[in-house]
Amino acid sequence: MKRSLRSWLWRVPIDQEVDEELALHVELRTRELVERGLDPKVARDIVLSRIGDLGHLKRTCLDLGRKRDREMRLMQWLDERAGDVRFAIRQLRAAPAFTAVAALTLALGIGANSAMFALADATLLRPLPFPHADRLVMLWERNDHDRGPFALRSAVSPINLRDWAEQNRSFEVMAATALGIGGGPLLAAPDGSVQSVDRQTVTARFFDALGVTPIIGRTFLPSDAVGATVVVMGEGVWRTRFGADPSVVGREIRLNGQPFTVIGVVPDHAQLARAAGIWSLMGEQFPPDFARNFKFLQGIGRLKPGISIEAARADLSAIANALAQAHPETNKGWGVTIDPLHTAIMGRELQLTSMFLLGVVGFVLLMCCANVANLLLARASVRGRELAVRSALGAGRLRIVAQLLTESGVLAALGGALGIGIGAAILNVAPTLVPANLLPPAAKIAFDSRVLLFCGAASIVVGVLFGLVPAWQATRTSLLQALSSESRSATRGGGRFRSVLVAGEVAAAVLLLCGAGLLLRTLLILGQADTGYRANGDTVMTLDFSLPPLRQGTRYPNAQSYMSFYDSASSAIRALPGVQRIGWASGLPYGETELGYWRFAIVGDPPVAVENRPRSDFQAADAGYFETLNLPIVAGRSFTDSDTSSSARVCIVNEALARRYLAGRNPIGLRVAIEPGLTNEASPKVWEIVGVARQLRGRAGEPEDPVQVYVPLAQYPVSDTLLVVQASGVPASALVAPIRAAVGKIDSNIPVRRERTLTDLATRATAPHRFRAVMVGLFASLALMLAMVGIFGVLAYAVEQRTREFGVRIALGASTTNVLRLVLGSAARVIVVGGVVGLVAAAALSRTISTFLFGVKPLDPATYASVGLLLAVTAAIAAAAPAWRATRVDPVEAFRAE
Amino acid sequence: MPSKTPNALLHGTLDALILKTLAGGPRHGYAIAKFIEDASDETVIVEEGSLYPALYRMERRGWLEAEWGESELGRRAKLYRLTRQGRAQLEAETAAWRQFAAGVSRILLAQ
Repeated sequence: MKRSLRSWLWRVPIDQEVDEELALHVELRTRELVERGLDPKVARDIVLSRIGDLGHLKRTCLDLGRKRDREMRLMQWLDERAGDVRFAIRQLRAAPAFTAVAALTLALGIGANSAMFALADATLLRPLPFPHADRLVMLWERNDHDRGPFALRSAVSPINLRDWAEQNRSFEVMAATALGIGGGPLLAAPDGSVQSVDRQTVTARFFDALGVTPIIGRTFLPSDAVGATVVVMGEGVWRTRFGADPSVVGREIRLNGQPFTVIGVVPDHAQLARAAGIWSLMGEQFPPDFARNFKFLQGIGRLKPGISIEAARADLSAIANALAQAHPETNKGWGVTIDPLHTAIMGRELQLTSMFLLGVVGFVLLMCCANVANLLLARASVRGRELAVRSALGAGRLRIVAQLLTESGVLAALGGALGIGIGAAILNVAPTLVPANLLPPAAKIAFDSRVLLFCGAASIVVGVLFGLVPAWQATRTSLLQALSSESRSATRGGGRFRSVLVAGEVAAAVLLLCGAGLLLRTLLILGQADTGYRANGDTVMTLDFSLPPLRQGTRYPNAQSYMSFYDSASSAIRALPGVQRIGWASGLPYGETELGYWRFAIVGDPPVAVENRPRSDFQAADAGYFETLNLPIVAGRSFTDSDTSSSARVCIVNEALARRYLAGRNPIGLRVAIEPGLTNEASPKVWEIVGVARQLRGRAGEPEDPVQVYVPLAQYPVSDTLLVVQASGVPASALVAPIRAAVGKIDSNIPVRRERTLTDLATRATAPHRFRAVMVGLFASLALMLAMVGIFGVLAYAVEQRTREFGVRIALGASTTNVLRLVLGSAARVIVVGGVVGLVAAAALSRTISTFLFGVKPLDPATYASVGLLLAVTAAIAAAAPAWRATRVDPVEAFRAE
Repeated sequence: MPSKTPNALLHGTLDALILKTLAGGPRHGYAIAKFIEDASDETVIVEEGSLYPALYRMERRGWLEAEWGESELGRRAKLYRLTRQGRAQLEAETAAWRQFAAGVSRILLAQ
């Protein structure tokens, strides 16, 4: 401190300082010699010659002095800052209630923001955990004539993929995973446990394309594809089921009883969009007659360095055009879609959701800042005198602003530190709050250094944001005003600014409430939507069955062997106590389709080119499926036992198909030609419509009712099915073990897995909507609370300031109503202005969330009206206490207080 | 004017002597030199070319601080004063000197 004081008073330029000092030295030395009897002139010459090069000495001292001053300025600056911080901490400790409220408010805002940042970071910002992940893309086929749900992104034919891979000049590697094939085979572990494990079937260069390095062993080589009896294991399965035993490499394991050799273990992040614990290899040798339009792959590619997605798109489009010329019967009208892998895996909706939620918490943080700024403004008026005295003592305005900003900074740092704790706590419980199917396995939400960095940056921004205006405002007060008239008139400007802040808070709260309201309405509408089936969702359970591929010499040489399995399993399960009804189907409501969308045409109608035909969801089901779901057949009949593989092919269509494509005709008896969408079949099959089923709904957010065709399982036996079981007398989940045992007696290698009730499925289908509604609802409630605190604060302060005025009015005979009107009038202006601004902003911004809305219009009047009402009620509650206080002012007390 | 003495100051000793001199109170540069010369019976001669850079260096290190005072001539003079840090440094250098001198004496004055 002393050193800084010295430099305050030491105002002599450095060169003058050196000159004077040396001159004095020479003079005194000369005088000393003169006193000893020397002639003054001679004495001076002796002194100067003794010093030698005076210029050099001056330069040395100047140089050292300048360095000294530079360091001192820095020291002084640091001293001042440290002093400011110490002073700020003293000030904050002197007002513990204010400090606690302000710091907690900020902590809430920063904590919520850090959690949402972690979500946005995982889904938007952080690259996928692969080397040069920006060069990874996902490949799809694109149909230029179709307008169906998969027109832009359709599965890839392996033959087309092979041709792309051979002919392109843009990709280092191309690979693929099989869509919808794999199921969850049973895996026996050394400890004797047999559990199903998620499997992905991939092409040999899958891991090369991603750049995944195995933990031990190796990944696939193209030479492995022959026979394809090798698998790669995921780290999770290796650790939990095989005790991380490195000798697993080279060992034989059994999947559904079939032997496979493990060649390596890879990190779990290789599982991309779908869960996988085991990767098996897809044969890439296709017979010459293998259909080119048999599409079941999801392509993955690694671009060569420096090649843009646009260039790759042009390259592959040219190849696709050439293929369409060469194979018009299968490839006409088919192009290529290329997406960055990051976007493809995270999904546009998830990325939008993350951005949206980050924006929402951003508003909440702004409101936290506004509230703390409000508190600071109120405090500044209390401290007006202190600040005025300090400025009278010579502290410049900037110096005082710096001091006040330091206080804000310390407050922000405190809030940030607490916020980090809150954020970490939120992220700690996040995995249980975030629905499992919302995030792909590649997205990991973690509280890491990036989130910490974000918290730090947010604290700094927030500190400046809520500190600057109050600091500036506080220093506007003139000394005279502050000391003469207390702080009353001096804070008029501050009061106005506080009203604007509160109006802004009200507007932000209204905006968020409107968003929350719209999302909540969506959720309610989805929840109440007529799902079509009448069964009680809690008592109907579904189980996944996955039969081995057809192979000669095994138990399942042909499709009929599947049917005999289903028949024996049905008898065994029906005989179990507690089982009321069962049925089989290839899919379920809520979008669990495995067979895909197929093109169809009504036989006898004017011919339509294949690529222009409409598509329909294609399902295999038995009669029990309709009974168990209690899905009414509204016309015609259901399937019966006499619909067998040898009888005439029949089908049931749903209401949407009948309404949209058979309008005005009696569907029963019409015949439908269905072009296979997924299977390796040459020609369309013709099915006669025998019934019309009630529309199934519930695939959340689907713009229109899906078109569906059901065919009898007996006439189209598939390997992957879902069993639906209606329990009676016992909880559905109690039936899992008996069913597994019964099936085990028929074939012990058939995995029975994923037990879920229809209610589970419904919840899962609406999970993203629920997540958004809950999150935004939570933040909107927080915002409303902050706005209430803001209203209360401003009003309470205003009443406090006008105590004397109210005293006078009451003394002069003003009634309680008069005083109330006075107080509430000013509050109402702020609230109405804020509310209207908020509603207008909500109306303007609501279109941005229209993709999240279902069954409710962005400008839904009921929502906006409810928000207005909610605001009125909460504002009234917030204003009640201060207004009540105003009416209770005792005139005598009011005057005495002065 | 005393002639230059053959026993030039040992490196680093000047700092210690300046610190010791200032322990008696604030002085300007000439007074420091004069004090050292007088107190050592002119066996130690302080050269200006070493004195002033040493003062600036020590001020930069925080051992000394300077303020304007008045000289014998009635003109303002830059007075140096010992800081707390400087006092500690003086103690350290005195202790080091004592050890050094004892060691050298044991060898040179050995019988």
